Amino acid sequence: MLKYTLGRLAIAVPTFLAVLFITFLLTTLSPFDPVTIMMQQYEGTLDGMQQKELVQRIRNQYGLDDSFAVQFTKYLQRLAQGDLGISVTGQRDVLRMIVKTFPVSFQMGLAGALLTALIGIPLGAIAALKQNTWIDYTIVGTSLTFRSLPVFVLAPLLLVLFVLILGIMKVPRGWDGLFQTKTILPIAILMLGPLPVVIRQTRQAVLEIFSQDYVRTAKMKGLKMWRIVVRHILRNALIPVVTTLGFVIEGLIIGSIFLDNIFAIPGFGGVVESAFRGFDYPVIMGVTMVTSLMIILTNLMVDLIYPFLDPRIKLD
Amino acid sequence: MKQSISLTAQTDTTQPGAIREPLTMASRERSLWGDAMRRLVRNRLSVVGLSITLLLLFVACFGPWLAPYSYTEQDLMHVAQMPSAAHWLGTDEIGRDLFSRVLYGARTAALVSFFSTSVSMVIGLVMGALAGYGGRWADMIVGRLIDVVMSIPGLLMAALIAVSLKEPIVSWAQRVYADTGFPLFADTTWLDLLVVFGGLAFIQWPGYARLIRGQIFALREEQYVQAAKSIGVSEMKIAVRHLLPNALGPVIVAMTFSLSSAMVAESALSYLGIGIKPPQASWGNMIASNIGSWSYRPWLVAVPSITLAIVTLGINFLGDGLNDALNPKSSKSI
Repeated sequence: MLKYTLGRLAIAVPTFLAVLFITFLLTTLSPFDPVTIMMQQYEGTLDGMQQKELVQRIRNQYGLDDSFAVQFTKYLQRLAQGDLGISVTGQRDVLRMIVKTFPVSFQMGLAGALLTALIGIPLGAIAALKQNTWIDYTIVGTSLTFRSLPVFVLAPLLLVLFVLILGIMKVPRGWDGLFQTKTILPIAILMLGPLPVVIRQTRQAVLEIFSQDYVRTAKMKGLKMWRIVVRHILRNALIPVVTTLGFVIEGLIIGSIFLDNIFAIPGFGGVVESAFRGFDYPVIMGVTMVTSLMIILTNLMVDLIYPFLDPRIKLD
Repeated sequence: MKQSISLTAQTDTTQPGAIREPLTMASRERSLWGDAMRRLVRNRLSVVGLSITLLLLFVACFGPWLAPYSYTEQDLMHVAQMPSAAHWLGTDEIGRDLFSRVLYGARTAALVSFFSTSVSMVIGLVMGALAGYGGRWADMIVGRLIDVVMSIPGLLMAALIAVSLKEPIVSWAQRVYADTGFPLFADTTWLDLLVVFGGLAFIQWPGYARLIRGQIFALREEQYVQAAKSIGVSEMKIAVRHLLPNALGPVIVAMTFSLSSAMVAESALSYLGIGIKPPQASWGNMIASNIGSWSYRPWLVAVPSITLAIVTLGINFLGDGLNDALNPKSSKSI
């Protein structure tokens, strides 16, 4: 087990370093001068001499004139100390921006993930048990439909439908905690991204297990169908569903990038969106790093708990 | 001895062609592709998908001639109008005809998705073949590279590439134009497209590389490949005659699905203001610039959203139909 854990770590850590390297390389390639963007807000308030001096001081502060290797090493050192830099627009601490918005997004994401599991697993199982009937086709077809629709298409269309055409809700905006009626629509939209993946995986797994000998035995000894499903099928079918966790997390994060601003939710996604819109490099690097770290850690976690769920997996 | 065996192998490969001729004349034999086509047409949803895809291609090619107005033409007397006879889908907040902009947006969507899908397929093919044939080390290195690219969310990666590389490329093009006066670089708006192609191709190739590597490893164990190998057919010939035709089905299906995901990704980038920039028409930037006014000008955001939804759905239906048609074994084994 120790060897297996170390082996997985030996893959995860270099992967993360490579991610850092790629993001850092890309951001240094760009000739977008962060200092120029920063100076735009002081336009006209400083005379030429003062401005040049200030620019030089800022360049030194960020170490922008060093060589690539020096900058990258310094970046890694700062990262190790938990320093993600300061945002170019607004001069805020990037780590604090992320930490401050994280609780909101974490609650939204957790709710989304739980609902995905609670809705996706039964639907997938039903689709498999009713294979090749209209129920199966409806579930698979609907999930295929939602897989093709991005959040920024679903959100405005559902808003127009529910608020303007049906008139069954007020404009859901802002954040007053998770258990408010206005979080229903954003969480529902957030969930629709990863839901099809879970439905598909569950359906596939249930279909596979359905033809196993022990299920046939259970049927032959006259067990009730729901008992077979709960006792024998779901238990085993849920194991491969765990592997979709990485996709679920990624789907939730990507969804929130578009969702947060539309619904005025002060979350992590909003930070990402405004960072890209404002070419705010320290923030872009920070959020890319945090997102990749979350995905790598999730996959590592799945890899580590998988052998416990399925003892047949060989630890090589 | 060996020569005689390879001679029989040669006659074997030419003979079926000779025999097939009279059979097709009697119209009894169905070709592999004809069979797939028949299965595809029998599925109603995939016919709908095929029609939508063909319509998209048609509009992408002939959109500028079909559009009643130019995509930049402003009618300042009729700003933010509801759909009417003069403007079929209404006008946007600065008086441009929405219908014309949707047609031009189809061109952007089709261009980006077809090019980025082809480029990523070629990269994936090379990487997958490298992993499949290059031995253990090449396989490991390609595998790790795929892990790295896949652990960054695709959209963030593409956005990062687009943000970082766009300016260097544009300033390079402007320098080239200043030095040489080469007319291609006079207008740099097409570089927007190029950067988006690049970003999308970069995030999509790992999928193809995995698929092709998997196919190479799986097909290698098939008995007909083993048989071909045992009678001394060269590795190259096996790849071209056996692996390629068998791997083609899954690759075509994957390409269809990635057409729609590339289209969504392009819209997403344009939505975030990194992809295709206004005034160039892209469904993504049309949604982005009108999403703030959804409550009082709903049609402005609904039109591009619904268009994008219909097209991506259509392509996915086609992909599903192709999957059933080209890989009949996979759907029956479930």
